[in-house]
Amino acid sequence: MTTKDFAIKWLVYALALLPVWFLQSFVLSRFPLFGVKPMLLPLAAVAVATLEGAAGGAGFGLAVGLLFDAAVPGFPGVWILVLTGIGLGTGLLARYVLRQDLVGCFLCSVMALAIIDLLRILVRLLTGAAPLEAMLSLAGRESIWSLCFVPPVYLIFRWVFNRVPKATVL
Amino acid sequence: MKDFFKDNGIIILVIALLLTLITAVVSFTFGGIANPFANLAGVVATPFRNGIHSVVTWAEGLYSDAFRREEVEAELERYKQRVAELEEQARSGEAASRENERLRDLLGFQQKHTELQTEPATVTAHGSSNWSSTLTVSKGSRAGVEPGDCVIDQYGNLVGIIWEVGLNWSTLITVVDVDLEMGAMIARTDEAAIIEGDFSLMGQGKLKLTYLPQGEQLLAGDEILTSGLVSGGTATYPSGILVGHVEQVRTDAGGMNDYAVLSPATDLASLEQVFIIKEFEVVE
Repeated sequence: MTTKDFAIKWLVYALALLPVWFLQSFVLSRFPLFGVKPMLLPLAAVAVATLEGAAGGAGFGLAVGLLFDAAVPGFPGVWILVLTGIGLGTGLLARYVLRQDLVGCFLCSVMALAIIDLLRILVRLLTGAAPLEAMLSLAGRESIWSLCFVPPVYLIFRWVFNRVPKATVL
Repeated sequence: MKDFFKDNGIIILVIALLLTLITAVVSFTFGGIANPFANLAGVVATPFRNGIHSVVTWAEGLYSDAFRREEVEAELERYKQRVAELEEQARSGEAASRENERLRDLLGFQQKHTELQTEPATVTAHGSSNWSSTLTVSKGSRAGVEPGDCVIDQYGNLVGIIWEVGLNWSTLITVVDVDLEMGAMIARTDEAAIIEGDFSLMGQGKLKLTYLPQGEQLLAGDEILTSGLVSGGTATYPSGILVGHVEQVRTDAGGMNDYAVLSPATDLASLEQVFIIKEFEVVE
């Protein structure tokens, strides 16, 4: 794959991220589903990592992490590392343990959402900012609603994956 | 070994770690000022946010026209009645106000007033996290906005506090966010208390009033105002801004202390225009 192919491929992935970002930042933030705003950006990182493997997943996770860090207040910078790690881990899990399909993506999304919410809960527990029961309830509702979006998000990136060169050169 | 690192994205992970460290250090060093990545993302996204906000507002208007006409008409009728009541109250208040002015003149007191220097801004986005309650507005450091500035709506009700400032955008935490805490005053009795966000109440769009004065009998509907927290002799926030109304009084989980649940005076879901208080002066 030439450098040009490489650039076009990731540009198309970035364009595919736009509707996901738009939905999370402008639609669902204004019109939550039963009071819950689903997290879609981490699902995008997981979907690409499932399809592209560890290196591509880590790179896309880094980009999504930068966007997530800018979109979500609190924990400055932490989401960059967390989402890069999620991309890397998902890529490895999908390739060597699970499968590089919707089921693999779904299982990795469950883990990714659990890691993100666990981190939030741990920090708030340490600072005593919120009761555990309320946080677990919110994390559960947030994860369930977010998981409903795994198939559409995966299908968007699957569609892109089928149309771009496969080998990732770094 | 080199290929292993390349193939498995460990190098990217190291880059992410460095970016995380830079972002965290910059954020903690310049508290409240957006880090370079967030600032860049905000500046790039601002025109899109403004455009999308206009489209969403237009669509909401169409929806309201089509499906909420009767509801809006009933609401208008209620407001007309309320305006008539308030006009009646204002008329009776005018006499008291004139008498107060005369007495102040007699005693040589300066008229108490608060001067606010405000910056109008548009709400361009609602926060996308369930773990905080934030709004993004269309003015930033270029317009002189600073972290900690108070934000009010067009009726003078408290909306929140500026949390992070970018070049042409700012993020504010609303009155129901868990990170908000400020001095308050019960309007009916002039007693002091503290308003703070509560994680369990945030999802319902409410906040709580704590450190209630001993023996204080709060009534449903009591107005709660900002008291103007004093920090090093300087008021951090202007006083007398309406925060919300008391809904009910509850006892905390330990059974030791009472707190009141407040509903904010501002309608956070439909806010479009806000005013950022950049400077204020209170003359007592």
